[in-house]
This record gives sequence, structure tokens and C-alpha cells, in this order.
Amino acid sequence: MVSRIETMSNQIVENLKKEIENFSAEVKVEKVGKVLEVFDGTAKVSGLSDIRASEMVAFSNGLFGVALNLEEDAVGVIIFGDFSKIQEGDEVKATGKILEVSVGDDILGRVVNAIGAPVDGQGVIKTSKTYPIERVAPGVVTRQSVDKPVATGIKVIDAIIPIGRGQRELIIGDRQTGKTALAVDTILNQKGQNLICIYVAIGQKDSKLRKIEKRLAEGGAMDYTVIVSAGASESASLLYLAPYTGVAIAEYFMDQGKDVLIIYDDLSKHAVAYREISLLLRRPPGREAFPGDVFYLHSRLLERACRRNEKYGGGSITALPIIETQAGDVTAYIPTNVISITDGQIFLETDLFYKGIRPAVNVGLSVSRVGATAQIKAMKKVAGTLKLDLAQYRELEAFAQFGSDLDENTKRLLERGKRAVEVLKQPQYMPVKMERQVAVLYALTQGWMDDVPVEKIKAFEEGLLNYLERNAKTFYKEVTEKQMWTEKGEAELKKAIGEFKNNFLTKN
Amino acid sequence: MSKISNDNLARAIYLAVKDKTPTERSSLLRNIVKFLAKKKLLAQAPKILARLGQIINEDQGVVAAKVWSVEKLSARTKGKLVDFLARRFGGKTAVLEENLDAGLLGGYKIEVQDEVLDLCLKNRIGQLQTHLTRS
Repeated sequence: MVSRIETMSNQIVENLKKEIENFSAEVKVEKVGKVLEVFDGTAKVSGLSDIRASEMVAFSNGLFGVALNLEEDAVGVIIFGDFSKIQEGDEVKATGKILEVSVGDDILGRVVNAIGAPVDGQGVIKTSKTYPIERVAPGVVTRQSVDKPVATGIKVIDAIIPIGRGQRELIIGDRQTGKTALAVDTILNQKGQNLICIYVAIGQKDSKLRKIEKRLAEGGAMDYTVIVSAGASESASLLYLAPYTGVAIAEYFMDQGKDVLIIYDDLSKHAVAYREISLLLRRPPGREAFPGDVFYLHSRLLERACRRNEKYGGGSITALPIIETQAGDVTAYIPTNVISITDGQIFLETDLFYKGIRPAVNVGLSVSRVGATAQIKAMKKVAGTLKLDLAQYRELEAFAQFGSDLDENTKRLLERGKRAVEVLKQPQYMPVKMERQVAVLYALTQGWMDDVPVEKIKAFEEGLLNYLERNAKTFYKEVTEKQMWTEKGEAELKKAIGEFKNNFLTKN
Repeated sequence: MSKISNDNLARAIYLAVKDKTPTERSSLLRNIVKFLAKKKLLAQAPKILARLGQIINEDQGVVAAKVWSVEKLSARTKGKLVDFLARRFGGKTAVLEENLDAGLLGGYKIEVQDEVLDLCLKNRIGQLQTHLTRS
């Protein structure tokens, strides 16, 4: 026992000696400044004459910051961490490095803060590389058009507002309309889909984040997910940094040729944090007191989402930014900015939410500019008529309230529309697989549901899916593997739907 | 209107005063003070003076350095330091402002404007500490 302890201590001493021998103290001239003033999360520093914009600086107590304002006789710095420990006269060293975050495969399944350090209490993350937080977006020659779908598992999105890999689709709506729920559902549905997910929480309550993490872990989604957290209690500078950290991690995976989905929840809080920093740095305020470069703040972030062509290594980053509106006002500064940057938006409405239409997607105002190119062929086929059905329903719905004498055709459209709305309802955390969505929508658009009472549509759908599980195997297989059904599969599906419907109608 | 910085003022003062005789200078300096008072710039006077000092040093090739050490520097070390600093920063000579700081544990710390050459023991031990904790 004693000898074991001795050998162990000898080993430690030997290792220590080796490390000390390897150590050579670098002697170099360093650029040093002094803190002149400290505001909330920002500092004004004298000296540092040759510093670059966005260069990292180190404070004497170990905190880091980034130089944002380069003035004639001082530098404006944002501080990452507890700024109350910084005093006037403290030394600030220029590091000569642009801010970087440590990345590696081990980061999957972890919760990290805005500077990439773990905050989930599961120990250090072994990382192999560092990635710059600010990076120029991939150029035109390296890109490829978006044509591969991200299956969100949410019927209304996959059918009407499809999202492609490499697209930027905004989720916009008032508070409590299910924006985060959409995002979390999308992550949950990516099991086995070869898509790495990054959830960036900006200014969210820690309790909400904990809930999301728990839900993802229960659904087995943490295996392919990274959470970047800058909670509501953290300083504005960390909130400002978090989405860039998230996208740097995403770029690490994209550079390996992988597909990545990144969710920014939410960019309105990000803009507010940036406004706070900018005002403290005394940059001139503009509309709604946001600084002039708030558009660039988001455009440079979202431009980093892309689909790269095979020649440049492939891989993609799909971005789902979230914006919270106030009382449905989409014409405010930040919502209009982000709407114009993204390739479409999913618009969630409070009224629909309380009418029980959940997800509360306003199908009329939501668009996806990538459109049907990001859908599989089978979905394209069934969704084409669905869109038309819904549009006609919305148009006629208003008239129908006044008159009772409607012609047959109008009545038929109204009934179909009601059923379509019912079918597109979906509970939270219940993503539906693509082939099942296709089957249900097929039944709807081919008129199989027209004589099922509206209030029984949900029960019909549920029963149908259970029945098809056993009786439409060929159809499912064809849609999953070849992305389109053949006549054989279609015949099987038709037969199964017919059988189930007869059974259902006689029972009910 | 573009802002007149302390640097602009210091440079202007130096250029105005540079080639004048002592009698001319005293009246000129009085005018400068009056000008500063009129433009409400007297509060900036310490900063302007500091910058003026730097400009004069730059122009005359003098490297102004602050040196911290544990013990007082010997004449020989000082001579070596002056030579080294003049060479390193491209001046004709160097002026040392000596400070004592027992906290350095050993070695020197030299500061020229915003550049710092930290050769003290405290810094090296700190570097060793980070090296050992990281590896």
C-alpha cells in the first residue's frame, strides 16, 4: 500500500517536472491599457493603441471583453462576466485574437453558455478546435439551392410552409402563441434524420430552459442537440454574443459536411440587448432607440445559414429565428427587419390559439419562399390541393356567416375547409412522421373525410393512422424510400382507408 | 463641425511654441491659457499637457519609460536599460522613471506609453500556473 502511494507520488512529481521543463515563459511586449470608466457591462479603456475591432481583451482579474468602439483616445469594451469586479485603473491587455469559441464533437448533448463553457454541471468538454465567433458568411460560389426538406413533424408546416435544409424561416408571433413549442417539436422530430440541432436561448427564463432541456432529454433528442444558453439574468453582452456562439458551433459541424438546424429563441431580446450595449457605448440611437446597425446585426448572423455544394464539402445550416411581437404588430422595427432577411415566416396568432387551432399558424400570412422545392414528391402532390382548399375556405368563411342559402359547391368547399383545419390541428410534443402526414392528407384531399362529422375528425384521424400502421405498409415504405407512392401503394392505401371508414361510420 | 481633440490642441501648441524665443514664449503661453479658458477647455488641461509631453518626447527622440523593480536599479543596469529602450523604440535616448514595488518578487517591469514588457518573477509564476492548470 505504502509503496503504491510512493510510486504514485513519484509519478506525479515526474509529470510535474516534465511539464515545468516544457514550460518556457514567453517574453513579449504587450499592449496594455487602463480602465477609465465602467458602465453596466461595458468599460472605457485608455491606451491599447493598435487594437483591432472585435479583438479580445483580458482584464487583470481574468475576465474577457471585446473591443467594439475604437475612438481616438479610448476604446469601448463589452465585458463578458461579472463586471462589478472591475475597477477604475485596472490593467487591460490586448490579446491580438478575435473572439473564438472552443468546439468539438463532445459538445453534443451539452448545455453551454455564451462563451462556450459548460453550465450543465457535467464537467469539462473536451474540445479539439476553436472557431471564430464572427465570420464572413459563405460566398455565392460555395452555395447550392435549397431542395432537401427539414421534416418538422408538424403537419401544417410540412404541408403548407415547407422548410428546406439551408433555409432561414422566421417564427413570429405574440407571447404565449407556441413559438418555442414549434421549435422544440421540430428538434424532437429530428431523431434519426441526420440533423444536428442547436437551440440558442437568448434572454429566456432559466426555468423555461430547464423545462426544454428536460423535454428534449426525455424525447432522446439531447443526443444530437446542443443548447447555448444566455439567460435573462446574464449581462447584455452575453446575450448579444450567444447567437454568434451558436452559429460558430453550427459551422464546426457544417464543415464536417453535416446538416445543422439552429434555433435563435429569440432575436427580439437579442436586439434589445444590443440596443443596451450600444446606448452604453454612446452610439447614436435611431428608430425605437435601436442603433443604426441593428439590421446588419441580424443579417450577418442569418446569412451564415446556407446550404453548401458538394465541391465545398456539403453540409448546411438551417436557421429558425424567433421574433416576439407586441400585440400582433409585425410592422415594428425588428420584426420587419428580420422578415426581410429571412426566406419566409411562420406567423402565429393569439386569436387562433384561443380558438383551439393549435399550432396557431395563420396559413394566409405565413409563407416559405423556398416553397415546394423543399418537399418530397408525395407531399407536393397532396399539399397542392390542400393549399387551394384552405384558401377558398378562408375566402368563403366570412360570407357564409351571413347567408344560409348556399349552393352545393360552396357548401362542399366550406365543409372541406372545416375538415382541413381540424386535420391540421396537432397537440404539442406529438410530431408526425412524413409518410403518415401524407396518408392523412391524402385521405382529406381525396374527399374520404367529407362525410365524417367535423367533431369526429380527430378521432377518425387517430384511428386511421393506427389502422394504416398495419394495413398500408407498402404505401409507407414507398413514400419513405422513394418519396412517392406507386399505383400499387395507392391502391393499398385506398382500400385501407375505405375499410377503416366503413368500420368507423358504422361504429359511431 | 468636426471635434477638436486634445491631440489636435497639443500638436498646435507645440508647433506654435517650438521655435520661439523665451520672451515670445511667455506671452504666447499666456494667450494659449486664455484661449483654453475661453473655449472652456481648462478642465482638459492635464490631458492636453500629458499629450504635449508625449509629442515633445516623440519629436526629440526621447523614450519616456516607467520602470518597476524590487530594489533600486544600479547605475550599470540603468545604462543598459537606457541603451536597450532607445534602440527598441527608435529614439535617441531614454528617460527612466523609477518605481519600487516589492510585490514583483524579482525582475523588472517596463512600461513605455501603452506597451508593457513584463519581466518580473510574479508574472512568470503566474504564467507557469496557467500552463500547469491547463495541461
